[in-house]
Amino acid sequence: MADTEERLVDEARSNEMFARLPDDPSAREELVRIHYPLVEYLAHRFAGRGEPVDDLIQVASIGLLKAIDRFDTERGVKFSTYATPTIIGELKRHFRDKGWAMRVPRRLQEIGLQLSRVVSELYQELGRSPTVAEIAAHSRLSEDDVLEGMDAIHAHSISSLDAPTDEEGQTSGSRLGAEDETYELLEGWASVEPHLEDLPAREKRILYLRFFRGLTQSQIADKLKISQMHVSRLLSRTLETLREAVGEPED
Amino acid sequence: MSDVTVTVPARPDFVHVLRSVVASVAARASFSFDAIDDLRLAVDEACAQLLAFPAPANALHLRIAIDDVGRLEVVASSDADASDAIWPPVGAENTLTWQVLSALADEARFERAGIGPALHITKLREAAPSV
Repeated sequence: MADTEERLVDEARSNEMFARLPDDPSAREELVRIHYPLVEYLAHRFAGRGEPVDDLIQVASIGLLKAIDRFDTERGVKFSTYATPTIIGELKRHFRDKGWAMRVPRRLQEIGLQLSRVVSELYQELGRSPTVAEIAAHSRLSEDDVLEGMDAIHAHSISSLDAPTDEEGQTSGSRLGAEDETYELLEGWASVEPHLEDLPAREKRILYLRFFRGLTQSQIADKLKISQMHVSRLLSRTLETLREAVGEPED
Repeated sequence: MSDVTVTVPARPDFVHVLRSVVASVAARASFSFDAIDDLRLAVDEACAQLLAFPAPANALHLRIAIDDVGRLEVVASSDADASDAIWPPVGAENTLTWQVLSALADEARFERAGIGPALHITKLREAAPSV
């Protein structure tokens, strides 16, 4: 991390601006500009979780401003070292406020982020879902890492990452025909009918596309503009919810 | 042709072991990311169905066989006594399990393994990637 910060930020210039900060209003703007690469870098680490990168950059910028205002040059810490946790804190708070928990171990988070990116890049490139060997060859991950990452998608601890908060991820086009789709789902899956009604619209749509239209996870991801990993998590969680619901004794 | 057999305690918290094994075998056989995920979900579903079987079971078995042309056969079974039971269950083709399995796999069927209930899933590898 420290190496990255050093590559991203002109530390000497930053110190100079902090020295001028009390009397020079333009220094604050200049500090924001100097540290913008750090903001971008940190925001991108939180990309691929259903939030647009531009929004994340906004959130990270707020974190940066807070850090600039609170920074004490006397303490002998480099600003970027001080600002990084503040910015990450702001990003985490953003996800938390959206109801998304951050409970995934960091190593798995990083694997997950890489996987998510490489899988969709390769899908675009190859026109089909890649194999594990191909994913490993196009990333810094080993085949075991890839499998572990896939495994983690389905772990309970991270399913909450994608807990739906609203219609997020729904494109306007995806609403078209939603009633017909629900109807077909209900017809086909009579045994779980009452529980289907309770599902969020996006989950219903994914079930429909996967099980009634026979679209692959990658095709669904493409259509809904979310990652394949996200589709995967939503599918397994929805099936689990339905199984639990059906398993409950009716009185 | 290679064959993998795993046995775990018949408890929900061991299903992830079977899931990981099927993913690992399918990955080695150059199945796609999507197909591997389908297999995981299918094994999940099959095991949930086996664990819901009324007679008590001690063990869940998973047998995976893969041939040279990329035909993966997965048989999930338990050692529950199904000799007197109706298996597949009445109206099985209307159950969630059936719908899910038949969509995720190329073929799915209810079977018996000895006296135990079993679910048999076949998944074919798509056109071989040129690597």
